Amino acid sequence: MLHLALFSFFGAICVAGAINLLAQRHPINSALSLIVVMGSLAVEFMLLGAEFVAVIQVIIYAGAIMVLFVFTIMLLNAGEEERSAGSRIAVLLGVPALLILMGLVAWVLIRQNPASGTVAAGALPGTPPEIGRLLFRDFLLPFEITSVLILIAIMGAVVLARKEH
Amino acid sequence: MSTLNAYILTIVTFIPLGGAVLLALFPRRDRDLRVFALVVSLLAFVLSLHLPVHFARHHAGFQFEQDIQWITTPNIHYHLAIDGISMWLVLLTTFLTPLCVLISWKSVHDRVKEFFILMLLLETALIGVFVSLDLFLFYFFWEASLIPMALLIGVYGHERRVYAAVKFFLFTMIASVFMLAAILWLYAHVGSFQFADTQQWLRGHGTEIQGAAPWLFLGFFVAFAVKVPLFPLHTWLPDAHVEAPTAGSVLLAGVLLKMGTYGLLRFNVGLFPDEARHNASWIATLAIIGIIYGALVAMVQPNLKKLVAYSSVSHLGFVVLGIFSMTQAGQVGAVFVMLAHGVSTGALFMLVGIIHERRHTFEIAEFGGLATPMPIYATFFLIITLSSIGLPLLNGFVGEFLVLSGAFLAHPLWGILAATGVIWSACYMLWMYQRVFFGKVNHDVNLALPDLSLRERIALWPLAVAAFAMGVAPLIWINAVDPTVRNVLSIAAQFASQVVAR
Amino acid sequence: MPTSFFTGTDYALSLPMILLSLFGLGVLIIDLMLPAEWKRWNAITALIGLGFSTAAVMRIQLGHFADGRPLVGSFAYLSNVGGQVVGSVLMDGFSIYFFYLFLLGAAIAILMSAHYLEIEHEHHGEFYALILFSVVGMMCMASGYDLVLLFIGLELMAISTYVLVGFLRRDKRSNEAALKYLLLGAFSSGIFAYGLSLLYGLSGSTNLQVIAQALQRHYSANPKDPIAIVAMITTATGLLFKVAAVPFHQWAPDAYEGAPTSVTGYMSVAVKSAAWAMLLRIFLWGLYPLRPVYLPLLVFVSVATMTVGNFAALSQNNLKRLLAYSSISHVGYMLLGLIASDNITNKTGIQGILVYLLVYTFMNLGAFAVVTSLRRRDIIGDEIDDIAGLYSKAPTEAVLMLLFLLSLAGIPPLAGFYGKYFIFLSLIQTQHYVLASLAVLYAVLGLYYYMRIGSAMFMRPATDPEPVAISPGMQVALAVTAIGTVGIGILPEFFIRAAGWSLGIQQAGTSLLGFLR
Repeated sequence: MLHLALFSFFGAICVAGAINLLAQRHPINSALSLIVVMGSLAVEFMLLGAEFVAVIQVIIYAGAIMVLFVFTIMLLNAGEEERSAGSRIAVLLGVPALLILMGLVAWVLIRQNPASGTVAAGALPGTPPEIGRLLFRDFLLPFEITSVLILIAIMGAVVLARKEH
Repeated sequence: MSTLNAYILTIVTFIPLGGAVLLALFPRRDRDLRVFALVVSLLAFVLSLHLPVHFARHHAGFQFEQDIQWITTPNIHYHLAIDGISMWLVLLTTFLTPLCVLISWKSVHDRVKEFFILMLLLETALIGVFVSLDLFLFYFFWEASLIPMALLIGVYGHERRVYAAVKFFLFTMIASVFMLAAILWLYAHVGSFQFADTQQWLRGHGTEIQGAAPWLFLGFFVAFAVKVPLFPLHTWLPDAHVEAPTAGSVLLAGVLLKMGTYGLLRFNVGLFPDEARHNASWIATLAIIGIIYGALVAMVQPNLKKLVAYSSVSHLGFVVLGIFSMTQAGQVGAVFVMLAHGVSTGALFMLVGIIHERRHTFEIAEFGGLATPMPIYATFFLIITLSSIGLPLLNGFVGEFLVLSGAFLAHPLWGILAATGVIWSACYMLWMYQRVFFGKVNHDVNLALPDLSLRERIALWPLAVAAFAMGVAPLIWINAVDPTVRNVLSIAAQFASQVVAR
Repeated sequence: MPTSFFTGTDYALSLPMILLSLFGLGVLIIDLMLPAEWKRWNAITALIGLGFSTAAVMRIQLGHFADGRPLVGSFAYLSNVGGQVVGSVLMDGFSIYFFYLFLLGAAIAILMSAHYLEIEHEHHGEFYALILFSVVGMMCMASGYDLVLLFIGLELMAISTYVLVGFLRRDKRSNEAALKYLLLGAFSSGIFAYGLSLLYGLSGSTNLQVIAQALQRHYSANPKDPIAIVAMITTATGLLFKVAAVPFHQWAPDAYEGAPTSVTGYMSVAVKSAAWAMLLRIFLWGLYPLRPVYLPLLVFVSVATMTVGNFAALSQNNLKRLLAYSSISHVGYMLLGLIASDNITNKTGIQGILVYLLVYTFMNLGAFAVVTSLRRRDIIGDEIDDIAGLYSKAPTEAVLMLLFLLSLAGIPPLAGFYGKYFIFLSLIQTQHYVLASLAVLYAVLGLYYYMRIGSAMFMRPATDPEPVAISPGMQVALAVTAIGTVGIGILPEFFIRAAGWSLGIQQAGTSLLGFLR
């Protein structure tokens, strides 16, 4: 019971943070909202029994990546976002449609698989030895390819943003 | 001899292509290019003479066959062969091409190299259409003839050439896609693109294709009807003809249109004789309308070339009528009209081109009394006019007579209506001739016009001789055509009796 | 109890990717040392890298495939599932065929780009490195048998492409195209990942075979299972986006128009092939039990795609946009092949898609090569006006462009015909007559806009008299694509058999050249 309450609470915070990220006009506020999202996700992972992933989430995502985000925003001295003329129709149609869609999916998922509402802590592999086994044995190739992925991301950023001579 | 027999069709088909490739490597010395093109086309003609000389006259099937497996899936064969019908059409093509080269000697002076390359490519494609016995190969050559023709019209034509070329291309291409759909359907069921296999399968599986047969017939029919051109799909023809350069018009009228009629005879009647019989009445009606409509519209044309173009529509109505009369006389007549029309209308376009070279206009009003400064030209023109009308002793008569007798056999009304077409064609042709050649010279500029040069006479003589020869001794041609047509009709009769007997 | 998990087989299987990555890094390093006039050596190094990678693929094909059994890499050693050792990389004929396709597309794109980038003053080595890395991503997509590998490969290819699209930093259209592509691509990747996560939830594994088996059980027990349907729809959304099918095609015209022209060519060919490889892999191997569910979806999408692609292309004046919409319509035809054939009872449609992608590589890259070469000092070379009168300026190029356009329209005996032919054949074999007639009609429509370009080249006068210079790299690219288009058109036997081999179709008999596989 407590488990479910905590899960829903932090889930709500996560979603609220995400919506806030979109709604805020100043990028720093958005970045801080994202940190809230990451933090609550970490708690969710913990509640599902994957404490290693939770800690990694906090350290790497909320710690390193979000710091990089904030650092870049401060470097660029990005000011407030200009209010551009949004499409009223898009908001009028899009938001309810999205809510309906999400509700539909959620209802379907819950009705079809009542067991999906309960997960016992420790039911899924989440301990460091298991993760290590997955990462360096079962999914070795994707792991190595990910490093290439990060390389091109860095390279791409440099190529696109570098100063001209 | 037998190896030559096996390979002669490949040689005849691809010599123009080889010539075109060699021409592409030539330096741009116009005179050499023309001479080389002439030599290549004459060589193709001389080699193609091997075909009638060694043709077994009373044998109905396909001769000079060559069959090599080209691709295994899909099952496409490189299968060439001719019978009586296609042999003469091949000869018509190789006969007209050197004459076209001669007639374009002076009139094409820009980008001469590309002109002759396109002409030779066109010749290969045209011969290929007539000799292919594999449906895929046939379709390939069919499509391959479109681009050179479109380019010849679009690059070397007159004022509205781009419009005419694009119209020609799109019209014919779109129509031929329906034929492709039919071919693919047939392949999916027969497992082979070969003509003989398809024919046999269709004969054996009559009930299986009950629903699809009308659509297949229609698919082939649309493609050929646009090409013929059959009323009301003829609207591309006047524009294409008027805007094309002379050589383009000659090949267009002389050979390209015969692709359509050949297709009707070979595929529509040959593969679907039952459907042909069922649909014969409305097709013949369209043909008759074409005959009369073409003639009437020709009568009111102020433009000489357009007049001849509409006369083509009228003449080819005869061919279609002959084919779908489903009689021996009608179909033999149809083939003969194809050949005769090729000669006479080809000559007509050459003659019109000659006067255009001098006066740069096609308007009849600009001429008048031309017999005075250009008597030899007037003579040739008269011979060809009479041949086109169908005067006995010239080639037009034999064909039209056979078609009319076949049409009469099928349905007396058809014969009567079509016969009026002869009258109409006499009307407009003779009236045109009178306006252009007889009487006083209306415009002074016409007085100084030079008569035919040696080159032009060399180009026209063979056509005049052919017109006479075909008119006086038609049996030379008919002997080869007759057994083939008998064969086609007997298959049709067999098929019909099979269906009826079931 | 794994005995060893990085065997010689694994090394051989990953060698193409390893070599490409090494050469990509090499290009980056060399680029630092090269002075400005010698930047071509980046391109040459990249081509050498592609060559080595091709050799590695050939080694896989010849060295390990003597009896045609698929090689499964033991990268992901799962315990025996259903009696088979299942891995994350499945190197079968399908993968190898696509590997060759990617390498070919990348090579031609690199040949096209060198001179073009010089004119644009953006001749950096990172361009070639990005192309090489994107090929690595594509290889993962084609040979991946595991959702994780597929997704990573997809992202690798996509991110490289985002950067490549935005490579012309000073051109606003390029920036805009890159941003649009990035946003829509990231969004669709997100939806795709959601679909994959649902698939994982349904089956408990990320391996395609396990997923297929789980779906089989799930589906036969519960034919209207909404979770499976939701999973399938979201997965399909992501895949169809990448392939630029309607209604997920909106990014394509803008991205194609704004990107550097050689990148557009590359995107339309190699990226599309990779997306198709992944789409076929997931639909035919992973989601096969859900075929009755996704078939109606595919029918709708393919008809809509052909319609939108063809009609929108009719009114275009920008060459790149026109070719983009024509690409979209080609995707519509290919989807018909997937509808007709399910790789078990009928393989003709899938064979058709593979042949189509091969000929499409040649003819589309050829067309884009010609458009790329139109870029001169002040003229961007995008519009149909820029190609008008090409015959008088560069006659060979005009003739080649005509060949490519005719091939795109599907006229025999050029290569494009065989792609359409197989698709039509498969539709007729499986009795989808309505779809077949629709496809024929749309093919006819396509003729109109291809002929517009053709008639502009030959029958209109040139709008500016400056001659078109063609660099040696471009000449080679044009030669290769032209020979491919005409050669495959006249002698398609070898390539049709190759496509058949990759799907496991046995073919008997010999043909004109006696090539046997």
